[in-house]
Amino acid sequence: MSDSGGVGRDDKSGKFVKRATQSVHDLNTPGDDKVHPLAKILFGWTEMKGMGTIIFWTMLVLSVLLIAIDLLVDRHDYFGFANMTGFYGVWGFIAFAFVVLMGWPLGRLLRRDEDYYGDASGPPDDIDPDIDPALLAEAEVGE
Amino acid sequence: MDAIFNINPGILLILVGFAAMAIPVKIVRHSLVLAAPILAIVLLGQATQGQELMSADIVGLHLNLYQVDGLNFIFALAFLLAAILNVIYAWHTDDRVMDGMAIAYAGSAVAASLVGDLMSLFIFWELTAVTSVFMILKAGTRAAYFASMRYLVIQVLSGVLLLDGIAYVYKKTGDLSLEAFTSLSEPGAMFIFLAFGIKAAFPFMHNWLQDSYSKASVTGAVILSAFTTKLAVYAFARMFPGQDALIWIGAIMTCFPVFFAVLENDLRKVLAYSLNNQVGFMICAIGLGAAGVGNALALNGATAHAFSHIIYKSLLFMSMGAVLYRTGTTKASELGGLYKSMPWTTVFCLIGAMSISAFPLFSGFAAKSMTMSAVGGEGLIIIWGMLLFASAGVLEHSGIKIPYFAFFAHDSGKRVKEAPFNMLLAMGIAAAICIFIGLPAVVPGLGYEWLYNLLPYREEAMSYGAKKLFTLDHILTQMQLLVLAIFAFILLKRFGLYPPEKPGVILDSDWVYRKAGFGLANWAGTVWRKAGPAMTAVFLGVSSRVYRQIERAFSPRGELSRGPLTGGMAIWTAVLLGVVLLLAFRNAA
Repeated sequence: MSDSGGVGRDDKSGKFVKRATQSVHDLNTPGDDKVHPLAKILFGWTEMKGMGTIIFWTMLVLSVLLIAIDLLVDRHDYFGFANMTGFYGVWGFIAFAFVVLMGWPLGRLLRRDEDYYGDASGPPDDIDPDIDPALLAEAEVGE
Repeated sequence: MDAIFNINPGILLILVGFAAMAIPVKIVRHSLVLAAPILAIVLLGQATQGQELMSADIVGLHLNLYQVDGLNFIFALAFLLAAILNVIYAWHTDDRVMDGMAIAYAGSAVAASLVGDLMSLFIFWELTAVTSVFMILKAGTRAAYFASMRYLVIQVLSGVLLLDGIAYVYKKTGDLSLEAFTSLSEPGAMFIFLAFGIKAAFPFMHNWLQDSYSKASVTGAVILSAFTTKLAVYAFARMFPGQDALIWIGAIMTCFPVFFAVLENDLRKVLAYSLNNQVGFMICAIGLGAAGVGNALALNGATAHAFSHIIYKSLLFMSMGAVLYRTGTTKASELGGLYKSMPWTTVFCLIGAMSISAFPLFSGFAAKSMTMSAVGGEGLIIIWGMLLFASAGVLEHSGIKIPYFAFFAHDSGKRVKEAPFNMLLAMGIAAAICIFIGLPAVVPGLGYEWLYNLLPYREEAMSYGAKKLFTLDHILTQMQLLVLAIFAFILLKRFGLYPPEKPGVILDSDWVYRKAGFGLANWAGTVWRKAGPAMTAVFLGVSSRVYRQIERAFSPRGELSRGPLTGGMAIWTAVLLGVVLLLAFRNAA
């Protein structure tokens, strides 16, 4: 992935190809901060200050908008009650919230120690052989 | 010449799989196992539909080994595509057994879906169990070893039940063709129903899935996710379409895993629960679709869902496999912030997440809507409500939880390399298929129409697609469901009401055999170890005392043979015998 070839070779393929391969290479080679350059472009915005609030309000506005559109559309659903304005939205909201909130009591009821069955063991054999041993040590502690 | 083209592509894959295990050179072996499924797709494509293409006669049984029709074509195609993705995904590995068994496993599933009689189905049904166990075993951990043994026992049990059912059917009718059952009270029907039910992971029979898939090797879990359960879905569609019991079983299957998925910390286990929930949709749809004349929409829904599910579930398992490969764990409590290291994997995972959540323009949207419409069309309010509830649940565990806790959430500080190129390539192809199937058919025959063209009831599917799929109603309602559910997530997160990811084991029905059953067996063993010698000692004591008493009384040196009585007894016996003799003679005269 990281070296798409061409870089540093005798340049016979013209400047364009060389520049393109160079930029692909740069885009996929993490810098000193070990963060993938593409990650900054694609998802860097999620780290921006106040992004939580922005997402919150965006989703709220989007939700209201979708229900508002529903007011204008005359739907013909299989069931009468499903034609109510915003039925699907309300159902989705309640279902989601119910599932997540049930996580509290169910977790208390059903969660046991990691080694409850006495077979806790590390990661499978076919993980990256060059994996940083520190990462694995961390995982062992987590067991 | 015809005979070569008319080999069941699954059998071809099985042969290639066993041959591949003998090839030591990695590049040759990999090329072979990649070429096999590609060739198999070509073979499948040119097969004449609706006639017996390959057969064998063994011990008086006629085995129909290859018969393609509208129903099994799409399942076999999906299995073969998954097999190609799996080979690319595992390109960096060098394990002869894994490579060979993976393609033989895929081949068994393909072969089982393409055969035309019950006995052949049974043979390949069992072969999927035997070949797939290596996917778990090869993880090489203690947990994986035990899980693979439990897996094997349960899978073989399914085969035994199937064989039992087949015996009943054969005795009653003498005919083993894949004729759909009309009722569960037919001889053998219940056995076969249960055999299929185990593989489809029905409620209370489902734990082999979460137990084994989460402990399988990195590539093994991806391979496992595609075949076994979907083969069972096909088998139900073939043998039990329109079976009412399936409607309820399916609906329950969609709902209960949702709660477990919220609790579960291991993200591969979350995906296994999600698989359960998805298979529920298909089972429910099959319950609605009566054979032949019945509900074409429902059977189309089940098959379309199975096809797109195989691809997006593979994609999700591949993305979690990549995370496991690079970080050594898939526990949500130890992950987070991985988008910084693995942006490509993140993008592909998000595409899989949006597909499974059925966002418009992604494959789940085109597939699941037919099932929902079929349920709605039948007026089954409660079932419909349950499926809608489960749709929000899918968004929770597969749409949000998987990508959020692995790649975003709080930064775990883990800085690893992006997944290997071959893994990214496999994920990229799967992601492309997910989007391709979900697009509107701007060019006729492409987009969702490509998938709908392959469905068993093609015309019904096409007319449904044209009239109902990309309507304002449908898009609006689906977006409402998803957006407000996401809003619920943001709200719960903001107010700290979302349960934190904690390490731990979540109890499920496998507790019955892993703890209670195991405990009972252990207890019985301990009791026997203690009680056994004690009981033996008591028995020995009692019997030797009894023997001594008997000996004291009756032996030649015993109580009874002593004294004058013995001699007298002999005389008296002779006298009595004489009297009896005399009486007998007198009566006779």
